[in-house]
Amino acid sequence: MKKEDTVKLISAEGFEFVIDKKAAMVSQTIRNMLTSPGSFAETEHGEVTFPEINTTILEKICQYFYWSLQYASGKETEFHIEPELTLELMMAANYLHT
Amino acid sequence: MSQPSRPKSPDDQTAMYIRVKRNKTTYFLQCVPSETVLQIKEKLEELIDQPVNDQRLILMPNREVLDDSKSLADQKVENDAVVALTLRKDDNEFEEVNIVRPNDFYQSREGDGGSNW
Repeated sequence: MKKEDTVKLISAEGFEFVIDKKAAMVSQTIRNMLTSPGSFAETEHGEVTFPEINTTILEKICQYFYWSLQYASGKETEFHIEPELTLELMMAANYLHT
Repeated sequence: MSQPSRPKSPDDQTAMYIRVKRNKTTYFLQCVPSETVLQIKEKLEELIDQPVNDQRLILMPNREVLDDSKSLADQKVENDAVVALTLRKDDNEFEEVNIVRPNDFYQSREGDGGSNW
């Protein structure tokens, strides 16, 4: 895995999650940022900051991206969501088109 | 019944991932259970520019130091596992495990509001 193939997602509290671009592109919003021709600053540095998404939720979202890739390649497991995260996670998912 | 459109070879890179954590950063690494810890460190080297010899990986929450030559499966590193990364310091010793959790952070900021939405 090369650095160029990863993207860094930064939470409201400044925690960083380095994930595969392929995984990040599960999110339509991030995919647009990374692939649109009008070069976002995000695309050039491979960093996206989400000031509205807290760390716990952002980590859960990254886990979801990877779970989603596994699921697409045939591994049928459940994705566990703690009840107390549900609302914020849905709001973030809506924003990310995930 | 197998579905031909969904390949399930053991080399499938989506087989599992681990979360390597140090300070406020988490690296999600895709891997397969048969990979050795050394191979994981080589992947990390690409990302963090630290040679494999200066990396130590520790399986959480039991803090077992992982052996380079053994595979992930051998050392019970499973999908979604959290592994702490420590680096060699100038004095040649490895630093202590340091993983900052967002909850610790909230506590230290208690009283300044802190709502995100």
